[in-house]
Amino acid sequence: MSLLLVEDDALLADTLGDALRLEGHDVVTIDDGDRAHDVLSLPDHGHELILLDLNLPGRGGLDVLATLRTHDGETPVLILTARGAVEDRVRGLDLGADDYLAKPFALDELEARVRALLRRHARGGPLQVGSLTFDSVTQRFTLDGESLALPPREQRLLTCLMSHAGEPVDKARLVQEAFADDAVGDNAIEVYIHRLRRRLRGSRIDLRTVRGLGYLLESS
Amino acid sequence: MKAPDSLFRRLLLWLLLPLLALGALMLVQAYLDARRTADRAFDRLLEASSQAIAEQVQWQDERLWLDLPPAALEMLATDAEERVFYALYDDDGEFITGNARLPGDPRSDDISGEAMYYDDVQWQDLALRQGVRRTRLEDWRQREGFEVRVAHTREGRERLTWRLFLGNMAYIGAMAVLAIAVLLLAVRSALRPLTRLRRAIRRRDPRTLAPLELPLPRELAELRETLNELLARMRRVRANQERFIGDASHQLRTPLAGLSARAELALRQDNPEVWRAALQAMQTTSASTARLAVQLLSLTRLNNPEATPELSALDLNDIARQAVRNAWNRCHRDGIDIGVDVCDSPVTIDGIDWQLEEALSNLIDNAGRYGATHITVRVNATPPELVVEDNGPGIPAEQRLLVLRPFHRGEESGDGSGLGLAIVDGIARTHGARLRLDDARHESGLCVTLRFPAPTPTETKQ
Repeated sequence: MSLLLVEDDALLADTLGDALRLEGHDVVTIDDGDRAHDVLSLPDHGHELILLDLNLPGRGGLDVLATLRTHDGETPVLILTARGAVEDRVRGLDLGADDYLAKPFALDELEARVRALLRRHARGGPLQVGSLTFDSVTQRFTLDGESLALPPREQRLLTCLMSHAGEPVDKARLVQEAFADDAVGDNAIEVYIHRLRRRLRGSRIDLRTVRGLGYLLESS
Repeated sequence: MKAPDSLFRRLLLWLLLPLLALGALMLVQAYLDARRTADRAFDRLLEASSQAIAEQVQWQDERLWLDLPPAALEMLATDAEERVFYALYDDDGEFITGNARLPGDPRSDDISGEAMYYDDVQWQDLALRQGVRRTRLEDWRQREGFEVRVAHTREGRERLTWRLFLGNMAYIGAMAVLAIAVLLLAVRSALRPLTRLRRAIRRRDPRTLAPLELPLPRELAELRETLNELLARMRRVRANQERFIGDASHQLRTPLAGLSARAELALRQDNPEVWRAALQAMQTTSASTARLAVQLLSLTRLNNPEATPELSALDLNDIARQAVRNAWNRCHRDGIDIGVDVCDSPVTIDGIDWQLEEALSNLIDNAGRYGATHITVRVNATPPELVVEDNGPGIPAEQRLLVLRPFHRGEESGDGSGLGLAIVDGIARTHGARLRLDDARHESGLCVTLRFPAPTPTETKQ
């Protein structure tokens, strides 16, 4: 499985391609909208993530995205654009993009988003954040090589945080994930977060509080 | 003037329609008048003839008798060759003599007197005009009432009616033609200044924004003044834009010059250490230049009066959360603690979500850029407010108005573009919100407040 990079600016395409290859990905680069459209209208295009520029020669990026989404709702798409405004982001996300990065961006940021998207869309494979892994088949966590047994609610909470590792997750979202329909207040979640923190203590995994927003899991 | 809705046609229609209605009314009136006049003239003949007949009625052999004077009937037959009828009836309505049994006076017998009665009757498929005279024969022997009925066909009357009517019609027609001609001229002349205005506008150089100068009647002069006001506003906008483009090109050229000079200098040397330093400097400069370009674009879009998107109801809590979520990674990387402090219940206002997010993103960015290590985005419910508070150096009170101007910078040492607050100010104006810069509440630093007008009362707010 490879990453597809659709970007017409040669310097940017080369640089991003090199950076992603250094991270260990296979990268295919396409530099115009019509060819991207041809490749992505195939039922099995064989890419696990698409980085899509919006301003392309030939067909526009949003067009390509719309075509892709008519038959493939799964493959994550990260939009790269120079248009910049949040307005365009909304349009892209409405059309089914999974994330959005406005040029100019830091390479760090791009790599983090790519990692997060791949993690979120990993199909059945194990989730991994630093030294913490979760095998969705056996439903088992491993931390620093040792198995980590968790009660169901903490397990659901940690799975949710892991699949969004590196980005803040809303408290409300976590409550829904961990307690499903049980009507508990936001405060109850803090107890579980506290317990999870105790379990993660001593490892290189941090469970941070984002003031007023929620929590974030990252590997330092 | 071939447009489906033309002023010329509209005016003409509304002036001609009543004129036509009036003309039709006048024609009907003229016909009725002519007919009445003809009837009156010919009725005189009926009267005279019945009078002549009545005078000849005598008492003979115990009954009424009439020796018909030929002149009495001749006067009824004009050169139109009408057919003439007469009849004599006694008081009981018995036919005595005559050449036709005419229907007579349908009114009750009680009404008597010398007055003539005229009416139009249908007799044996002939349209007749009949005159009835009731009178009585009086002498020393007898006192006997009788009725003289005379009638003739209408040819003479119709001929006279038609002649009178034709005379009137020619008169009315001439009036109508004259009125329409004057009307056309009037409408045309009234609309001529409009054509002149159109030509004057079309002749203009499309690039010029100079005011229109041509003499026009009052109503159009108002239009001209309005156009000139619009042009004046556009002149101001353009002057503003030109100044802005000048500033912008200067602002973009300077860092580009720096970049190329730095690269040139590094390439002259062979020392990897120097290259590394140059690359780092170039990365910093190019990042801030790129950001400047982005901000210039959004400021241009905000200042474009043609593109004002519709406001829709949105929750400030969502906006604040989304802005912090977007900024978190960057702030975290730079070691800045950022948080959000939202209300428990939704704070609904009418606004444009992406603009508000952009405003917050600019404020957060500014705070980080000028050295804040602790940033809080807060939502207040009454009145609805978005607040960004930081612990940076703050802005002295006397500079707070200045910093809203494009390309003004709080301190020359910062690497900001000087556009962030101008953008926020533009967004605030789009939302009818007030932008306030204060000292932070607890510590040193800046507190930027966007206070929105209270939501429309239809929206529920707890």
